[in-house]
Amino acid sequence: MNEAAVAPPAIEVIDVEKTFERGLVRALNGVSLTIGRGEWVALVGPSGCGKSTLLHLLAALDRPTAGRILVNGQDLSSFSSMDRYRRFEVGLVFQLHNLLPNLTAVQNVEVAMFGNRLSHHGQGERARELLASVDLSHRENVRVPGLSGGERQRLAIARALANHPSIILADEPTGALDSAAAVGVMDLFRRIRAERGVTILLVTHDKGTADAADRLIHMRDGRVVDAPAVATTH
Amino acid sequence: MYFLSLVVRNVYTRKVRSSLTGVAIAISIAIVVTMGVLTHSLKKTAANILHTANADFTVAQKGLADITFSSLEEKDLEAVGQYEGVRSVMGLLIAIVKVDEERPSFLELGLPASQLEDFGITIVAGRKYGEGAPDEVILGFRAAEQLGKTVGDRITLNQPAPHEYEVVGIYSTGQVYGDSASMLPIKRLQADQRKIGVITMMFVRVNEGTDIAALRKKIEDEHPQLATVQSEEDFGHVDRNLQLISAANLGVTYLALVIGSVTVLNTMLLSVFERTREFGILRAVGWSRLRVLLCVMFEAVAVSLSGAMMGVGFGFLAVKLLERSPQMIGVFEPDYPSGVFRNALAIAFGMAFFGAVFPAIRAAILRPLDAIRHE
Repeated sequence: MNEAAVAPPAIEVIDVEKTFERGLVRALNGVSLTIGRGEWVALVGPSGCGKSTLLHLLAALDRPTAGRILVNGQDLSSFSSMDRYRRFEVGLVFQLHNLLPNLTAVQNVEVAMFGNRLSHHGQGERARELLASVDLSHRENVRVPGLSGGERQRLAIARALANHPSIILADEPTGALDSAAAVGVMDLFRRIRAERGVTILLVTHDKGTADAADRLIHMRDGRVVDAPAVATTH
Repeated sequence: MYFLSLVVRNVYTRKVRSSLTGVAIAISIAIVVTMGVLTHSLKKTAANILHTANADFTVAQKGLADITFSSLEEKDLEAVGQYEGVRSVMGLLIAIVKVDEERPSFLELGLPASQLEDFGITIVAGRKYGEGAPDEVILGFRAAEQLGKTVGDRITLNQPAPHEYEVVGIYSTGQVYGDSASMLPIKRLQADQRKIGVITMMFVRVNEGTDIAALRKKIEDEHPQLATVQSEEDFGHVDRNLQLISAANLGVTYLALVIGSVTVLNTMLLSVFERTREFGILRAVGWSRLRVLLCVMFEAVAVSLSGAMMGVGFGFLAVKLLERSPQMIGVFEPDYPSGVFRNALAIAFGMAFFGAVFPAIRAAILRPLDAIRHE
């Protein structure tokens, strides 16, 4: 039997609900979806449809009100530490990159590795290797304000990969970029997936960005309205 | 990059605020160091006085603010000398007189010439004064240096009626209090001070094998106006100033801790508030609450320790200035015990801990999502 066929999906969302304001605002209303390992999925839909809320739940930045989320077959609520989950299972990329402005590029990657098993020297090497993989070797000692928008987003991707996560969660990663930079970032995602086999879930408004994905999942009013079957496994 | 490098960088990034906080801490620590050195040095001086003349214990009037105010009668001296086990007893009169504007508090010690050697006086130049000589004085070598006097010079001491003396000798006692004073026959000093038959304190030596504690108790029980002093701890019975200074030292230490802690609290709270988003990012990339907490705490420790180092420097400077003040000449010889610096270090850590614990917890319990959205 094919190993990929028996391996659990990267992400499984089962009937998840999320409400705010003591139940007055229902952001997610019974969302269910599955994302295969190594798949690149774009989550699309109008503003306020619940895309980012779902992404935050998957990143363990928030908890669902009801329902289950399984990551690589393990129930998210069963992870002993959400900090460890965020560090080792998923890598986050935000629209506004959320880098630390007082640090250099290489230091921004290194801080994400504090407390992992690598030595100080190993962390430095790993950070430089990641910067090289996102074509930022020549900018490693530049502080964030000195980087362009595209460079910052590439740096954010390098940081997301610091601890070898199997899943990259990206919230509007090209939303603040010009089109040339956006193309560069999407090329980078493509390359990362090819080289590292990571699963990518990307929330976007932008049709061009969404089209780069293997599969689109459409959301509206807190529900999944169109989710084609898992397209491929890597 | 090391975790501690990040901590230092975070402190350095806010250098103006960190420096101002450090200066506030430095001032608190400087006060603690100054008071600590002052208290310790005065205690040491007191201990030296107690051990003058190789006395087993000292007797003075009970419950005074300052031992120099003690007033005993010579018949007390005789009474103490009668106790079983007492080998010898020596009476000393202390007067504080004005030499000039720069030396408003100059010590005169009155003692019979025959007891100078027993008292621990070593004549280093000239000779000792004659028993009945009305105009002879000997100066401690420190006093002679400060006054610019030597054997054969004349000196006018501003007693109730200024009187001119001839300096017939220079002496040494081995302790700053005595070496910064002058000595003259006790009868002469009693007459000058209009204190005929009065002494300030007495130094008691006992025979070998005498139960000193029992003897002291007996003297105090039978002479309630007297207090016996054997150790620095007893000194407060005859000199409340030292007790007050010790209490003030303790009070200042606590006050410094509170002021420093509030300063650190203010700085760290502001810092945590400003960096809410940063902490959210760090939590989002996997930092644990503990690591965030330690980051804030270590930043506070870095600021506090920098302030403490400055404070120790300021403290040294303050002690040096105090040492040169006219009121302290002859009374105060600074001594720098390691305990004062341990105390300063402990207070700096205390300031960091008490000042940073609340902001650190606040930073650690931030919900990452809310923190990231913080503007």
